Amino acid sequence: MKDQTVISIKNVTKTFKIYRDKPVSLKEKVLKLRSNEYSTFYALKNLSLDIRRGETIGLIGHNGCGKSTLLKLITKILYPDQGTITVNGKISSLIELGAGFHPDFTGRENIYINASIFGLSKKEVDQRIDEIIRFSELGKFIENPVRTYSSGMYMKLAFSVAINVNPEILLIDEILSVGDANFQKKCLEKIESFKRNGATIVIVAHDLGTIEKICDRVVWMNEGQIVRQGEADQIINLYIQHMNKQFVEQRQQEYLEISSSGVGEKEEVEVTEANESSDTSTVDEPTFSEDVRWGSKEVEITEARILNAEGKVTNVLMAGEPFCIEIDYKLNREQKAYIFGTGIYTADKVLVYGNNTQIANLKIDRINKRGTVRFKVKKCNLLSGTYKLNVAVVDGDHRALDFIKYYMDFTVVSNDKAVGLFTIEHEWEIG
Amino acid sequence: MINRIEEVWAYRGMLVSIVKRDLRSRYKGSFLGFLWTFVNPLLQLVVYSIVFPYILKVTQENYAMFLFIALLPWIFFTSSLQGATTSIVAGSNLVKKIYFPRIILPLAAVSTNLMNYIYGLSIVFAALLITGVHLTVNVLWLPVVLLIEFIFIFGLALIFSSLYVKYRDLEHIVNVLTFVWFYLTPIVFPITIFPEQIGEMVGYNPMVPIIESFRDILLNGTPPDWNRLLYSLIIGVIVLIVGVLLFEKCEKTFAEEL
Repeated sequence: MKDQTVISIKNVTKTFKIYRDKPVSLKEKVLKLRSNEYSTFYALKNLSLDIRRGETIGLIGHNGCGKSTLLKLITKILYPDQGTITVNGKISSLIELGAGFHPDFTGRENIYINASIFGLSKKEVDQRIDEIIRFSELGKFIENPVRTYSSGMYMKLAFSVAINVNPEILLIDEILSVGDANFQKKCLEKIESFKRNGATIVIVAHDLGTIEKICDRVVWMNEGQIVRQGEADQIINLYIQHMNKQFVEQRQQEYLEISSSGVGEKEEVEVTEANESSDTSTVDEPTFSEDVRWGSKEVEITEARILNAEGKVTNVLMAGEPFCIEIDYKLNREQKAYIFGTGIYTADKVLVYGNNTQIANLKIDRINKRGTVRFKVKKCNLLSGTYKLNVAVVDGDHRALDFIKYYMDFTVVSNDKAVGLFTIEHEWEIG
Repeated sequence: MINRIEEVWAYRGMLVSIVKRDLRSRYKGSFLGFLWTFVNPLLQLVVYSIVFPYILKVTQENYAMFLFIALLPWIFFTSSLQGATTSIVAGSNLVKKIYFPRIILPLAAVSTNLMNYIYGLSIVFAALLITGVHLTVNVLWLPVVLLIEFIFIFGLALIFSSLYVKYRDLEHIVNVLTFVWFYLTPIVFPITIFPEQIGEMVGYNPMVPIIESFRDILLNGTPPDWNRLLYSLIIGVIVLIVGVLLFEKCEKTFAEEL
């Protein structure tokens, strides 16, 4: 009895036709006024999945990976092109809230309408109505027309009806973010109680914390196929790592696109300010206001950049990997000594880390006309977040030659779920 | 098939509450409220019973009742078709998000108008008494005639509602169709007005025996012409079967087409 399969999905493929210009009327169809061209989108590709009685399954994956399509196929809102789906048991779905609500009717009347759409008879609603009203926390407002409700009240009422069914199989799509924190807690408790009563639950959510808390098994989907499935915490960790990596790659791509298109923009700026900046031959020099850049400019920072592990210019770093801060300088007037420095600030401008060549006991009394200083880091230990970079060059007496605070923002993505700013290598020992 | 019927039966609560909601919401918040259900047919009755006897010189005895008895089932027919045709699209937020037997939506549209007809009957009976028409035992055939009309309407409703999801200009076609159909059915005039040959053709219109049966049992006090009514029933059942098959074929893609 325990291992019985209640939802069996076998080799299911679902495609959607995406028409470029679909005929929507008989006239157009007959007269062929619009082309019938379409491209096929595979929402699910030959997917198989068995769900056993009493299991709580979480479906995760980025938008458009087919999670919601799968739920809709299970409830029979959509039908598969190929393959079969067999369901043993009564399905209740929490996919749409407030179905059939009529604004002019009272909350109580709408409970009856809404519940009837979920397939409940009047008698069944009669038995549950008090509990539904209590759960909704609406009190005497229940006798007011729904149009007078705030959106929060509306959602609470809708959710109360939906969740007060007695489901054998419950499908939940992205709706656990209803109401205030207390209400959410109540909903989660309700779902826990369904679990204890042996209901089978399939849940789609972007809130991975919730999924990890309530699911026995997690299925990670991508492009209509199952990537991996298994224990909730394990799959979610893998998924987070994958998403972080993808995020970094995507940001890197965006950064490159912006900086390459940005060059063009800056060139235009330079034309208008030609008389001021005619002595600088480089194009890329960013402009900073006086409160973030100061100094005599006897040594000038022409550019600074962050390089990732592959040596590519970036504004996003993966924690745990090496990176490098490069500072290009130009010598305008020789000094007795030079100190190069760099620092990292949090988004709210708290210093995280600062270092310079003097702290490292490097004595620099001669530099080239032009050159690059590199600050190489073997391993980025920052936790996820946005940080600010500052770069500076000062003379031996710490007189600012060129000091740029908040030169640029950069993002760090870390798989470490710890809080704070830094990863500290550690292990726990429980005595 | 049996499963499907059982399933619809299981969802009867939904049918009832949608019909109730639609009946009540139509007039909710308006000044005369539920009375509007009666005002509309009454106004039509007044207009027609002035225009035809006095302006067009129709010499039908008790013309007001002659017209009214036929007009109400006709309003049931046309407003059901118009309501049902758009029912799936109007309920698209339900269709896209929740599973329920889709057939509930057109069924509810037709049922809402059936209820309106039944409320209208109270005016019919009151008016019959006032105009001194003797009701006979044949009035008891009324549910049978109404059932036959319902079958025919529901069949058409299924065809139009499932096609409308794909072809959104069907609504206008249905309007034109019912407009023409109105004059091919003896509602404002007796069928004898047609020349013999055309009258014979018009006789194939399945609405003719239905409308005439209403007149037979309510106005003339005679039983309906069973042979001709059977013809309407057969056509009705054929249309219903076609409708159910077509609807079943189309409903699987409703959620995608909307």
